[in-house]
Amino acid sequence: MTAVVAFEPTCVHPRLGPGGANVEIRDFSLWYGQKQALFGNTFDVQRGLVTAMIGPSGCGKSTLLRCLNRMNDLIDGVRIEGSMRLDGAEVYGAGVDVIALRKRMGMVFQKPNPFPMSIYENVVYPLRVDGVRDRALLDATAERALKGAALWEEAKDRLKESALGLSGGQQQRLCIARAIAADPDVLLMDEPCSALDPIATSRIEELIDELKGRYTIVIVTHNMQQAARVSDNTAFMYLGRLIEYGETEAMFTNPKLERTQSYITGRFG
Amino acid sequence: MSATIEPLTTRSDAPTYTRSRVTALGALGEPFQWLLAGSLALGMTMIVGFLLLVLWNGVGALWPKPIHLVTFADGTRIAGEPTRVEEFRVGPERLASLDEATRRRIQVDAGYAWRTLYRTGNFDFYNDDFRWAADFEVAKVEAPVDFYFVERLEWGSFVGRIAVVEVAGERLAIDDPRAVAAHREALRRLGAIRSLEHGAIGHVNARIERERLGLRRVAIRESEASPAYAEAKALAEARIAELRAEYQRLADEVQRLKTEDQRYKVTLVEIGGKDKTLRLSEIVRFYPANGVGWLERIGIYLSRWGEFLADAPREANTEGGVWPAIFGTFAMTLLMVIVVAPFGVVTALYLREYAKQGRMVAIVRISVNNLAGVPSIVYGVFGLGFFAYTFGASIDQLFFPERLPSPTFGTGGLLWSSLTLALLTVPVVIVATEEALAAVPRSMREGSLACGASKWQTIKYIVLPRALPGIMTGLILAMARGAGEVAPLMLVGVVKLAPELPIDGVFPYLHLERSFMHLGFHIYDVGFQSRNSEAGKPMVFVTTLLLIAMIAGMNATAIVIRNRLKRRFAGSQF
Repeated sequence: MTAVVAFEPTCVHPRLGPGGANVEIRDFSLWYGQKQALFGNTFDVQRGLVTAMIGPSGCGKSTLLRCLNRMNDLIDGVRIEGSMRLDGAEVYGAGVDVIALRKRMGMVFQKPNPFPMSIYENVVYPLRVDGVRDRALLDATAERALKGAALWEEAKDRLKESALGLSGGQQQRLCIARAIAADPDVLLMDEPCSALDPIATSRIEELIDELKGRYTIVIVTHNMQQAARVSDNTAFMYLGRLIEYGETEAMFTNPKLERTQSYITGRFG
Repeated sequence: MSATIEPLTTRSDAPTYTRSRVTALGALGEPFQWLLAGSLALGMTMIVGFLLLVLWNGVGALWPKPIHLVTFADGTRIAGEPTRVEEFRVGPERLASLDEATRRRIQVDAGYAWRTLYRTGNFDFYNDDFRWAADFEVAKVEAPVDFYFVERLEWGSFVGRIAVVEVAGERLAIDDPRAVAAHREALRRLGAIRSLEHGAIGHVNARIERERLGLRRVAIRESEASPAYAEAKALAEARIAELRAEYQRLADEVQRLKTEDQRYKVTLVEIGGKDKTLRLSEIVRFYPANGVGWLERIGIYLSRWGEFLADAPREANTEGGVWPAIFGTFAMTLLMVIVVAPFGVVTALYLREYAKQGRMVAIVRISVNNLAGVPSIVYGVFGLGFFAYTFGASIDQLFFPERLPSPTFGTGGLLWSSLTLALLTVPVVIVATEEALAAVPRSMREGSLACGASKWQTIKYIVLPRALPGIMTGLILAMARGAGEVAPLMLVGVVKLAPELPIDGVFPYLHLERSFMHLGFHIYDVGFQSRNSEAGKPMVFVTTLLLIAMIAGMNATAIVIRNRLKRRFAGSQF
C-alpha cells in the first residue's frame, strides 16, 4: 500500500486492452430530481472483457449501469450531464433512437424476470419484437441462445412450457439467453446472482466466463469474490463517484487507494 | 475501552418500566375478531335469507296447486287455489255482525282470526281474481275432482267445470281423449296463424313499407315533379301491387285457418252457474287440479316454465312468458360490454401508461371516480337528451329522412340504452383496468424494454396480457351493475311491452333502434303497475329469480373466461 490519495478527483485508468474502448463515459453526472446520484464519472469499458462494478449499497453502480441502455429514462425527474458513447456514438443526445440503442445491449436484471410465456417465446422475444416470422430462424436462434446460456440441455424438451415453471437459476439463465438472443454488443448484468443460491450462482459465473470475448460484459455485483473471479477490470464506486478503476487482479492484490483497500477487505460497505 | 460497565440509566431515581407478564384483553385481537366475524355472519345471513326467499317463492310459484271448493256459512260458494294463509285483525263492524260464540272465540285470541286467500280466477265474471275467506265464515271445504284450472289467453285463469267440448260439431266430454287431441290441434293451428301473421305477413308488410319509404326518399331527394320520381313511383307501385296480392293470399290463408278454428269450442261453467263458450285455441292449458298425479304435476310445472321462458307476455304482463325481456336484458348487457370494454381499457391505458402524471391526470382520475357516484337516473336523462334527442335525431335527419316525423333513432332504443349504461359503468372499468395495469410488475416492463421492444410493443405483448384478468374483473363488475340497472333504462328505451325482438328476419336483421323489454323493469311493471298486484306476485318472484340467475350466469361465464385467460397468459405463447 503506497499512496493515500485525497477523495475528490481520483480516477485511475487501466491500460486499454487490444479491443479498445467499447463504451466511453466522460464526466457523467446524474440527478434524481434534486438529489445528485452520480458525480462526474469518467472511464472506458473495454471491448470483449468483463468489467465488474463494485461498491457499497447506494453508491450508484446500478444507476450507472442502467444509464448505459437508458433504462433510467423510465424514471420521472432524472437529469443527466456529461457524455456517454457506445462505439463512438452518443448514447444521450437529440435524435438518438433509444429502441435501436437498447437492441445493441442485452440486460440481465437482479431478479429473474421471465415473461409469462413459454420458454421458447421468452428467448425469441427480441426477434418477435423485430417482426421476425421465419420459423427456422426463430428455432435456430432459440437453440443458439439457449446453448449460449447453458440452458439447452435442461430446456430443449420443454420449450413450449411456461417459463415460470423453471427454477430461479434456470430463469436467470433464460433471461441471459433472452439477452443474447438478438446478438447484442454489450451485456449488462445488474447483480445477476443476488437472488440465486450458491450452485446457481456458480453456473452463472461459469457462463459469464464462456460469454467473455464474444460480448462486452458489464456486471454490477455486491460480491467481492465474484468480481474477483469473473472480471478482467473492476471499477470501485463510492457515493456516486468512481474511486478506482483498474485490472481486477491488480486491484484486488494491490489497490492503489486506501479506501478501495478498506472496502475489498471488508472494513466497510 | 474501560472494563467497567456503564449503567443504562444515568440517574438512580429515574422511573423504570417493568413489562406486565399478562397480555391485556385490548391487546389481543379476539374481541375484534368476534366483531368482524359477527358482521360477516350478519351480512351473509341477510344475503342468504334474501336469496332463499326469492328461490322459495320463485321456484314454487309455477307449481300447480289444488282447487278448494269453499262453502260459506251463508250458503255462497267459491272455488279457487288457496294461495296464502294469514292471521288478521277482525274489524269492529264485522265483529259486531258475527254471532256470540264466534265473537267470543275471536276475543279470546285478542281480536285476531285466520283467513285464507283463494285465487278464484274468473275475472270476466266477478271483476276479481282473489277472494279472502275468514275461518269463522267458512262452513265446509271440499276438493272436487271435476274442477279444472284453465289458463286462458284472455281474462286470466278460469276455475270451474268444463261442460262440453265441441269438436267440429261433435259434442265431447272433456275427459275424452279426442277432446285433448283437438285441443292440441287447436294450439298448433293458433301457432300457425301467429307465425303467418308475424312471419310472412309481417315480412310482406315490411317490404311494402320499404317500397313506400324508398319512394319518399326519392321524393325528398329529387322532388316530386322530377322524371326520376315518376319512374320510381311506377316501379314502386308495381311492386307494391305485387306485394298486396301476396298479402291478400296470406290473409286468405289466415282467414281460412281462423274459420276452421271457430269450429272447435269449449264451454266452461263456473261455480256460480255462469257459463262461457270460447274457442278451444283460447285455452293455453287445463288440468283437473285435484285429480292430477305427481308426474302430471311435474309435467305441468315444466310446461309452465317452458312457457315462461320462451313466450311473450300477455294480459298486461301478468301471464305468459318473459322471453322478450330475457332477450332484451341479455342483448342490452352484451352490447354494453362490447361498448364499455374498449372505451374503458383505452382510457385507462392512456391515463396510466402515456399521460404525464400530473395535476391534469389527477383531476381526470378524480372526475372518473366521481362519475361512478352519480345517480343512475341522471345518466338516463343525459342518455335521452344527448343520445336519443340530439345524436339520434341527427342520424334520422341524415339517414332516415323519409320516415320523419316518426323517429327511428331519435327516440329511446336498444342502442341508446346500451350506450347510456356503458357510460354509467365506464368508471368501474377504468378504475379496475388502471389498477390491473399498475399491478404489472416493473421488472416485466423493464425486461421487455431492455430487449429492444418499444413502449407500445411492451404494452401489447407484456402489459395487457398480464393485466387482462384484472380488466375482466372490472368488466364483470360493470356487467353486474349494468344488468341490474333499471332507472335510466326507463328513459332511454325500455318499455312495458315490446313483443318484437330487436333481432328478426327482416333486413338489417339487428334493429338497434327498437325499444325493448328488460327483466328489471318487468319486475317493477308486473309488481306495481298491473291491475292486480296479487296476481302479479308469483311473476315478480319468478322474474326476480330469473334475473338473479341470469346475472349470476353471465358473471360465472365471465369468471370462467377470466380464469382461463389467467392460466393461458400465466404460461404459453402470446
